[in-house]
Amino acid sequence: MMIFSEALKEKIRSYLERYETKRSAILPVLHEIQKEFTYIDDEHILTLEKDFGLNRVHVREVVTFYSAYLTEKPKKFRILFCDSVSCHIEGTQKVMAKIEDFMSSYKKKEKELPFSLEGVPCLGVCGGAPAMFVNEDRYLNVSCDNVEAILKKYDH
Amino acid sequence: MAEHKILTEFEGIKDSRSLKTYLKHGGYQALAKAFQKKPEEIVALVKESGLRGRGGAGFPTGLKWSFIPAHIKERYLLCNNDEGEPGTFKDRYILELSPHMLIEGMIISAFAIGAHKAYIYTRCEFYEEIKWMNEAIDEAYKAGYLGKNILGSGFDFDLDHYIGAGAYICGEETGLISSLEGKKGQPKVKPPFPAVAGYLGKPTIVNNTETLAVVPWIVNHGASAYKAIGTEKSAGTKLFCISGPVKKPGVYEVPLGYPLKDFIEKEAGGLRDGVELKGVIPGGLSAPVLLPEEVEKVTLDYESMASFKSMLGSGAIIVIPKTQCMVELLKVTLDFYHHESCGQCTPCREGTGWLANIMKTVMQAKAKEDCYDKMYEVASHMEGRTICALSDAAAMPTKAIITKFKSELLNYLRRG
Ligand SMILES: Cc1cc2nc3c(=O)[nH]c(=O)nc-3n(C[C@H](O)[C@H](O)[C@H](O)COP(=O)(O)O)c2cc1C
Ligand code: SF4
Repeated sequence: MMIFSEALKEKIRSYLERYETKRSAILPVLHEIQKEFTYIDDEHILTLEKDFGLNRVHVREVVTFYSAYLTEKPKKFRILFCDSVSCHIEGTQKVMAKIEDFMSSYKKKEKELPFSLEGVPCLGVCGGAPAMFVNEDRYLNVSCDNVEAILKKYDH
Repeated sequence: MAEHKILTEFEGIKDSRSLKTYLKHGGYQALAKAFQKKPEEIVALVKESGLRGRGGAGFPTGLKWSFIPAHIKERYLLCNNDEGEPGTFKDRYILELSPHMLIEGMIISAFAIGAHKAYIYTRCEFYEEIKWMNEAIDEAYKAGYLGKNILGSGFDFDLDHYIGAGAYICGEETGLISSLEGKKGQPKVKPPFPAVAGYLGKPTIVNNTETLAVVPWIVNHGASAYKAIGTEKSAGTKLFCISGPVKKPGVYEVPLGYPLKDFIEKEAGGLRDGVELKGVIPGGLSAPVLLPEEVEKVTLDYESMASFKSMLGSGAIIVIPKTQCMVELLKVTLDFYHHESCGQCTPCREGTGWLANIMKTVMQAKAKEDCYDKMYEVASHMEGRTICALSDAAAMPTKAIITKFKSELLNYLRRG
């Protein structure tokens, strides 16, 4: 069973008091849980209800509605590539294909793949299109020429 | 075009985000001035300035503020810093340059509307920007610009920063309110408008980051100074962010009414060498695309954009090169709206789904030639009949692309 650390419990309590209603704490609390466990498990949701009085239906609706919350354990490095118009114009498709090539090289070497690749909606940095995140690190002007070097920094 | 640097005043200034720098450049003096006035005088000042909301709809800001019912005292101010409209990256620039400008604008605006609590709602992918904003809020609290009895005025005001969780629809003001209440970010039926019943059912003003950040300048320089910039109906300057194959993509501040062509040529340095223009999306993805001959004539203000059946929107200018396949662009556009529809209204949920599905069959060369007419019809049924404007935002660019690029779209099918 997953148990929240004391520090996490303390954070949850402070969020529960921070807003006009307890319910407003759900989003920030889920962000904290995900920071600690990398994803949100049913166990966490039930603990929030049992120990902190947050209704499980209310919490679940938030977990499932927002794309930032993960319900399964993610790969160690999540690549989020902007899939909206400005980045497309500047070459998203080509660079994503290049990343897929790079990822398939793991298969050939029979190494475990530490990356996942997802196309995501506009990241709000279109002046540096194409843009991507690797976990929380933002990269701008990503191209077929520089993308491999960026990814190799994570797994060397 | 460095003539008016209102929002970009701190461009090129070292350590521009710190309170120290902000104060050195006259920061928080507008707040002191505002406290010398009555709240309703500030509302009148903002009305007179001609300031219109910079989040997309261009609604007159002072007028919105005056809709708050006088008898309800618990009120809220929310800053819409969700910046999700594809192509838009201007609000984050304010956080990068001068988060204190936004804080000062929010204190003055809250004072004007009689709110003692405000939230900034920021999209979660702005990791660095969130840190900058939090640091500025901490500094402002420590220096006594936030909290109790600000500058001895007797006005108490708390500001908190709330982080979203990856949903475009939370940029819609009532979706934002739902999200801040800890719920799914689903928009609510209007009326009642948020100014009457918003966050927790209380009067709530939702304004865009850029709208709020310009308020200190208006208080400092007066309504007529602001109104003197721009055009008769579109007053002041605005941040425009340009992306696509131009030499200098980025955020630039120009007076409203500035010619789009000059903006591309002078601010953004023109098209990259060898690039020919196919069209421009002038106001974020929801804005209908303009053809090169329209780009020659249109100016960056609400009225001129409307006369070309497009819109100024968030000020996101997306340049499309001749080499860009419009089938692909339409598909990317529709996948976005389909993904982001919150699903409450049938025309939007089903309409965006059908449109995206038809585009999938087009890409697989399985569609018939009348598919675009069908899409046009579906899009027409999505307009003006839903809870929020996302449905319209999907329909408008679809219709424009089909109308303006029909032969290219048909050729795509004929080529197979
Ligand atoms: C689907 C949709 C998405 C929106 N996204 C944003 C956004 O990201 N940021 C924003 O300021 N306004 C956005 N808006 C507009 C807001 O609903 C609202 O009009 C605006 O925040 C009001 O502020 P303003 O009057 O200062 O412009 C969006 C509207 C719709 C329909
Ligand atoms: S129009 Fe679409 S996004 Fe807006 S409330 Fe209806 S279903 Fe949701």
